[in-house]
Amino acid sequence: MSPAIGYAAIVAVALVSVLIGFYGLRISRTTSDFYVASRTVRPWWNASAIGGEYLSAASFLGIAGLILLTGSGGMWFPIGYTAGYLMLLLFVAAPLRRSGAYTIPDFTEARLESLAVRRVTSVLVVVIGWLYIVPQLQGAALTVRITTGLPSWVGSVAVAALVAIVVAAGGMRSITFVQAFQFWLKLAAIAVPVIALLIVTGAVEPELAPAQAFPASDGPGALDAYRTVSLMVALLLGTLGLPHVLVRFYTNPDGPAARRTTVIVLVLLSVFYAFPTLFGLLGRAFAPDLATPGDADALVLVLPDRLLPGVWGDLLTALVIGGAFAAFLSTSSGLVVSVAGVISQDLLGGSVRGFRIAAFASTAVPLVVAFATEPAGLAGSVGLVFAFTASTLCPVLILGIWWRGLTARGAIAGMATGATLSGAAILGGALLTAAAPAIRPLIEQPAAWTVPIAVLVTVLVSRADRRRMPRGTDAFLARLHLPERDRG
Amino acid sequence: MSDDPRDPAPLPPGGRVGREAPVSRPPSADDPAPSPPPPRVRITAPRNGPAATSDRRPVARLRGPGTDTGPTDIQSVYVRSLIRSQLRLALICASGFVVATVVFVGVVVFAPALDDVLVAGVPVSWLLLGFGVYPLAVTVAALYVRAASRNEARYRSLAEDA
Repeated sequence: MSPAIGYAAIVAVALVSVLIGFYGLRISRTTSDFYVASRTVRPWWNASAIGGEYLSAASFLGIAGLILLTGSGGMWFPIGYTAGYLMLLLFVAAPLRRSGAYTIPDFTEARLESLAVRRVTSVLVVVIGWLYIVPQLQGAALTVRITTGLPSWVGSVAVAALVAIVVAAGGMRSITFVQAFQFWLKLAAIAVPVIALLIVTGAVEPELAPAQAFPASDGPGALDAYRTVSLMVALLLGTLGLPHVLVRFYTNPDGPAARRTTVIVLVLLSVFYAFPTLFGLLGRAFAPDLATPGDADALVLVLPDRLLPGVWGDLLTALVIGGAFAAFLSTSSGLVVSVAGVISQDLLGGSVRGFRIAAFASTAVPLVVAFATEPAGLAGSVGLVFAFTASTLCPVLILGIWWRGLTARGAIAGMATGATLSGAAILGGALLTAAAPAIRPLIEQPAAWTVPIAVLVTVLVSRADRRRMPRGTDAFLARLHLPERDRG
Repeated sequence: MSDDPRDPAPLPPGGRVGREAPVSRPPSADDPAPSPPPPRVRITAPRNGPAATSDRRPVARLRGPGTDTGPTDIQSVYVRSLIRSQLRLALICASGFVVATVVFVGVVVFAPALDDVLVAGVPVSWLLLGFGVYPLAVTVAALYVRAASRNEARYRSLAEDA
């Protein structure tokens, strides 16, 4: 494919994002605007924005690549990414909105009346945010390398710089517009090529016969029960701890609106994920040569040009490149907003200027990490971030909302345990599996044991610490669960 | 609530968590026990500057009579029963989704015949796994939202009668 298409698509998406960002700047002036868009965002806008923020490099490129590489096992990722919002709806959405807190650290501090809990939560939010930005930057590096032939680092640096500028300039309100726009762009950018390719491939003979393209050994029958269950635990529960997703719930006007928003998000995601799944299936039949760990994530970018040479193929390629870039930009900027929000409140006094400084700092760190680490498969590395989130923030959020007995010490002990166990599995995974190959699945998909242990530690320490239950617990829980009077 | 007699947690530097004076509801005929309600905690992100005034509106709404914990014992019983019924509902919906998914996937996994049926060149088992679970999630979500609102409406009518 010609590099000109890549350049044109990337520049166009960047330009539109910046324009919308600055348009939003003109109507967002006060500090609270910067943080939660004054809580006046309607459910459809908000749901589109959540979708736009959530659909990352892993969703846009990684899922199709994983289905090409490993078969139907890759389909569990989008199922988990979507069903995570069901868990969010059931356990978190309305109460969290009613808490009136701006960020997760605000919530845990108010619930447990402890500054120490706030600090631990803040550190976790920043770590999770940074871990999650890294695969986005690596996805950008891959896209730029494949589509323009430029060195990989150009993609990471370009996305990091754009995100820092847009977030620092516009704040949250403009990000809501940008994110909502990005969702529909991403949906169109993946749906139109898939539909076009499905029409074209009706007349083309696949490279592989169905029996080779979709062998039973890669099919649903070859399910690895432990890995699948553990992945589902990570994705279902990890979603409810993702800082950039939670901060969006504060922009709903009230609890019922938060619920409506979540249901719309579920519908939007269900529609979206049909298309990467179809891309993966097409890839197995028509591009089996791409099924190598380094190249599989590029399937979405490469396939249109292969199956449809000429102008139409070029246009479709430009569209998917634009969509992929939208994915990197929107997820990274959502993460930077929440990480910068936490850093600026806890370190820099909560001013707008502090927020801007923090925005630049929170893009620089993941950029360094992205350069320092070897890119793994996009869907897999995002899956590990979910496992870490599910083991740390999720138990404290759910227990904090539903269990009176949670105490500050219990929360800290649980978060520390979850972070240590899942962090050790993620960072020391290679060493541990070399020493004891038998525990390999346990290390590669840790959530199934780290989450229950974290919950158990939280509960046991809270029970032992019963006398320190926060004085305001009952009042706070009532506020989380009582309906707003002025909503019918 | 704990009977721990120690003082309220000290304010963080700069007062990140603003502790407001107890909300005093105007005494009314259907409010026989006007003991002061527990202090309410307001959380704000920025500690000073324009937000200090501009975020009043949602807080004022939160403090409305509908969200007041209420001073009477009977109301705190209603609150606890609302929380319990919402938790029960959430757990039922979550396990319903998990059971439905396990059954659905179990059928796909343990019916090898589905591997041999091709639709547009793709085995039906792959298509079912790839597209079949999403409708389950959306259905459970829609049912939950209706039931959760019903629980809240029931609480509201009980609280008004009290």
